[in-house]
Amino acid sequence: MQGIAALQPYVIAAFLLWAALMKLLSRRMRSQAGRTALARLFGPARAVPLLRLVAVAELAVAGVLLAPPSSPWDGTAAAVLSTGFLAYLAYSARAVPDSSCGCLGAHGRPVEWRSFARAGLLLALSVLAVTAGPYPIEPLAVVIAAAEVLALLALSPELDRHWLTPSRQLLVRLTRPLAVREPELIPLETSLRLLYRSPAYCTAAAHLSSDIQDFWDEDGLRYASYAARGRTAVFSIPLYGGAPADVRVALVEEPALRVM
Amino acid sequence: MVRSTPTDPIDLLGPVQGEVSWFCCGNAWGPCSSTGKGACGTCNSGSLQHAWPNTSDACWNITRPDRCGDALSRRTCGFRHRTTSLCGGGSIVTTIADCGPQTDLFCGERSCCGATCASNRLIDLTPAAYSRIASLSTGLRPCEISTG
Amino acid sequence: MTTRRQMLKSALLGSGATVVAATAMGSLGPEAAFAAAPDQPEPGVLDPDFAEGRIRSIKDNTLMVLGSNMVFHQIRVVDGTSLWKLGPVGFDQARPGDGLYARGVRMPDGMLAAESVWLNIVNIKGHVRNITNEKIHLDHNGKDVLCHVVPGRSVAVHSDAPPSADLSLLRVGQHVQIMGAWRPDTNEVDIATVFSPH
Repeated sequence: MQGIAALQPYVIAAFLLWAALMKLLSRRMRSQAGRTALARLFGPARAVPLLRLVAVAELAVAGVLLAPPSSPWDGTAAAVLSTGFLAYLAYSARAVPDSSCGCLGAHGRPVEWRSFARAGLLLALSVLAVTAGPYPIEPLAVVIAAAEVLALLALSPELDRHWLTPSRQLLVRLTRPLAVREPELIPLETSLRLLYRSPAYCTAAAHLSSDIQDFWDEDGLRYASYAARGRTAVFSIPLYGGAPADVRVALVEEPALRVM
Repeated sequence: MVRSTPTDPIDLLGPVQGEVSWFCCGNAWGPCSSTGKGACGTCNSGSLQHAWPNTSDACWNITRPDRCGDALSRRTCGFRHRTTSLCGGGSIVTTIADCGPQTDLFCGERSCCGATCASNRLIDLTPAAYSRIASLSTGLRPCEISTG
Repeated sequence: MTTRRQMLKSALLGSGATVVAATAMGSLGPEAAFAAAPDQPEPGVLDPDFAEGRIRSIKDNTLMVLGSNMVFHQIRVVDGTSLWKLGPVGFDQARPGDGLYARGVRMPDGMLAAESVWLNIVNIKGHVRNITNEKIHLDHNGKDVLCHVVPGRSVAVHSDAPPSADLSLLRVGQHVQIMGAWRPDTNEVDIATVFSPH
């Protein structure tokens, strides 16, 4: 147990160093500071200075954790900082639920359960670090520390684009969940997109006073009718492999509209 | 697109062509319920308004039309633009009520009407404004934007 | 309906019906339409010929709609009114609880005589978080929206390429615009068109 505790300061310090450097050095982070809960709670002008202040606190605690000799105060400082993170997350999720947390790099999504789990894990590791001392490091402790690092990374939505998105992309490529099941059906939207690109529609568009009223298929053509300021505009659109120039239109005189 | 140097604000020199879409605002129904009143605090789906990509530094940092080659001028809340459909020629004058669209996320996208095409998303209209120049179900159309 | 369709079809083929103009390219000048087009109202204010809100009740041919700004609208649907709900639909498809946008002509009694009614239509931009069985999980302004692919209805438009019913070119991580029909009181949408920049 004490061997496990011996590695905790290093895990926490590495994470805090990373978080601090992102806040201090990332231009994207600074440009998106206005979207964080800090900006919404304290004003956009104070967002960047506050992010820097948090970064300095993270650097200080990381320094204390890494500098020998180890003392119970190291873990206590990390626990206080982690508790502060949890309190900030809880307050911002309640007060400004649409804002991002601004914890690690630029990230537009609001605070989610993983952010809480990450701060909670940091707090647990900090409590464990209180008992850390100059104990020999066992292989099991190294494995557990590696698992903790992986858990912290997996609980960081800011890193999704590096592992979650590519793995989902691979899965989609392998399983093709959007492959066409009924290729014989020609969606109306396919015909309408061809219609919108056609010179005939371009010419008639200024006359149209409604969206599409009716459509039907006949003889390899799809017909679509629209109201056209008291008249009716009817288009014929090729169903199979036609070009926009093949679309035709007629403006037809019909009896006056009556109430249904 | 007429431009003398890459840094000149193009809509000061003349009309600019791009894509127009529509967006909802004003705490309306559906996915719009959380949108709110927009960056200017006045946006309403039923009003003749639009979103513009350069209403402030913070707005510009989000939309970045320059990444698509469009150096649009700074225009603030209430400024009037005229949007003219390149398909049919209908036009509407609207005022700025929000920041958007996020031009850089759709760089290079092109919409055509007949032989006329326009690239990059430069303006978003409210449903009331968009439906004056095109049907809402078209979703995205080529247009020309000038000062109103 | 068949008779009307035959009449409209014959108009295109150049027989029967009173054809005002028929063309593939452009003899329909816009001048006449502009002459008839309504005047531009004051920019920035509510458009009197437009309504937005949710249907509270339906009485005969009239939709009782409560706007998001708490203004009440009565929207009359006539023979020539187009109704859209993931495509053209009949008046019987309008349901209390549906969201709508309507454009028409405001009558002296305050009623809106509708030319077009779009039921539950949404046009949202977002980031594709995941793609699962016939579903696109969209991150729209930090909120998850579950977008359903509807076989035979949904298409993808990749920039100016021809539209395709095959949506399998869409990628996790890319940005898209989805135009579709919201399922009332959920965070789910049926897809009509996905616009992809590439």
